[in-house]
Amino acid sequence: MLKIGVMIKQVPDSQDISIDPVTKTLNRSMARNVVNPPDLNATEAALELKDKHGGEITVITMGPPMADSALLELMGRGADNGILVTDRVFAGADTWPTAFTLASVADYLGGFDVIFCGEETTDSSTGHVGPGIAEFLGYEQATYVHRVEYEDDHFVVTRDIEGAEETIMIGKPAVITITLNANVPRNPTLKRKIAAYRKGIRVITNKELQLDPACVGLKGSPTIVKDMKTVPDPVKNPSKPGTEELDKVVSVLIEKGIVR
Amino acid sequence: MPDYDAIVVGAGNAGSAAAITMANKGLNVLLVDRSDPPGTKNLSGGVLWGNDLAKILPKWQSEAPLERFIQNKKIGFLTEKSSVVIDFKTKIFEENKVGYTVLRSKFDPWLAKKAKEAGATVIPGITVESLAKKDGKIVGVEESGDTITSNVVILAEGINPRLSIEAGLRAPLQDWEVSVGVKEIIKLSPQKIEDRFNLTSSSGTASEYIMGNLEELNIGAFLYTNKDSISLGIVAPMERLRENGVTHTYDIIEQFKEHPSIAPLIDGGTVAEYGAHMIPEGGLAMVPKLYGDGYLIVGDAAGFGFSNGLVLQGMNYAFLSGILAGEAAAEAKGRGDFSSSSLSVYKQKLENSYVLKDLKTFKDIRKVTNNTNMYTTYPKMLESILLEMLWERGQPKKKIRDILSSCAADLNMSKLKTATDFYYIYRRM
Repeated sequence: MLKIGVMIKQVPDSQDISIDPVTKTLNRSMARNVVNPPDLNATEAALELKDKHGGEITVITMGPPMADSALLELMGRGADNGILVTDRVFAGADTWPTAFTLASVADYLGGFDVIFCGEETTDSSTGHVGPGIAEFLGYEQATYVHRVEYEDDHFVVTRDIEGAEETIMIGKPAVITITLNANVPRNPTLKRKIAAYRKGIRVITNKELQLDPACVGLKGSPTIVKDMKTVPDPVKNPSKPGTEELDKVVSVLIEKGIVR
Repeated sequence: MPDYDAIVVGAGNAGSAAAITMANKGLNVLLVDRSDPPGTKNLSGGVLWGNDLAKILPKWQSEAPLERFIQNKKIGFLTEKSSVVIDFKTKIFEENKVGYTVLRSKFDPWLAKKAKEAGATVIPGITVESLAKKDGKIVGVEESGDTITSNVVILAEGINPRLSIEAGLRAPLQDWEVSVGVKEIIKLSPQKIEDRFNLTSSSGTASEYIMGNLEELNIGAFLYTNKDSISLGIVAPMERLRENGVTHTYDIIEQFKEHPSIAPLIDGGTVAEYGAHMIPEGGLAMVPKLYGDGYLIVGDAAGFGFSNGLVLQGMNYAFLSGILAGEAAAEAKGRGDFSSSSLSVYKQKLENSYVLKDLKTFKDIRKVTNNTNMYTTYPKMLESILLEMLWERGQPKKKIRDILSSCAADLNMSKLKTATDFYYIYRRM
């Protein structure tokens, strides 16, 4: 039976957030919290793996106490367990201590055969955390994956690379990050959600984990934000091409024999 | 043995109040809502009148996310260029806290949380697909091929009661039973709101208007002040909209926002939210059978709303009907009997409360609120009378009686028609 982990994050719904032009911080006050969209695909990949090969799925998030609703949502879709990793000392973490903390939790739980993550989060778009977890744990890894097969104790995964896709084989244990829209996430059902809310989630704090406070949260974060700039939305503010540019485009098209 | 004593469909004011009532009485309750967090998709104009919630949450006024208490209520007529407004401001409102502006997307999740704290299982993000029936009784709900069973299902599914209609518990909605409400939330700083409306940091104002410049659409409009925003919208009877066929509600709300008496109040504000919702307007005639074997219907789903032009209410009816349904279900559990006759105590409770008493008292009110003259002739008449009386144009002055009759003549209203209209309004209001 496969021991499957899914690392997820609760993010503000990107449709509802804006950047405050004065303070340059994210204005989340109007946004409701949702599961990071590619994490739904990561969870679905885990569920499909379990459907075919059996296993137990544990969904893990590091975040504030209100992130429990994201775990319960995914348990409603079929995950077996939900774990909320929460502690004041974990707050303000950049991708390094986030990956370190989540890897430590995986290790604390005895490790997994495979850990799925979304390719990146919609609120910071780094794509660091999945590979970071793999490195801290010493697991094999495959990123930007949209298809996963499991055979003879190894994974055959198909990943997006620029202009093409590649299929590679990786061993166990592994971290696999899943692309947005890699699959169609199943919906939660009332029956599963009732079971999830009855079962509840497990909360792990640093009292239990005993990580060095200097290595986690804001203290453990090497990133320093020097400045932030807002740029106009290119879709809302298209720069109008002048006639010179148009002439150039037309002459290139004539040159190549595309138009006559 | 069913999974639950009671399943409540819909975490609005009625559903959550029913769930809290039952959980407080020790029933095993499941409350299901389509949105996550529960209640965040709910919408109403924005004033909560009355104190019914105190029956189950004695400290609600200090705990709930409320915007501003109502210190004055305005009722007005708008014509193209004028507004005639009664502004009733009283210390009595402030002393008694008779109403509050609320934002349902904040208030309803709070109320659902109270249901959870009372012991109900609250499941968000699930839309129930159908009611489970067995031998003509409602025995639970169905979703994704699963049946969750209960002794009683409380239908608090709101103004568009799909489950009740599909299960044959009520007829499909008719145009005359509903209005369409369209609403915007306009962000404005508390400072500006308090200056423009003459408010303190906690007081607010509720204004309702008849739009006399839109001919026969019979449009009502409202404007309420929140902490740092204004709730503003229009209410259009579905029947009139359908008859008209060309005017769009989004154009009507723009006309309201551009009215010379309204535009300065929202100047500089930005639209933060936009929403639309149906409003029950059919009164007693749209109320379905409220109970049966294994079910009770509450709130908007039961058509419990009230408007007589002066008073617009629905949330208080939702609370009280939810509480009374919860009590009825708890009593039915005590008897171990969830049959139609056992649950009929719900209707008796409603009949002894203001909910059904109001609807009975005002059963003919639609003849007033739907009287086209209220939206066309009378606002213009008021404007003409006031112009005639207040505008010094170097002409000899007339007696009010003569002003009235010349205005009526200008607007093609016979004296008899005007007199009978006012007689009927007097009788029905």
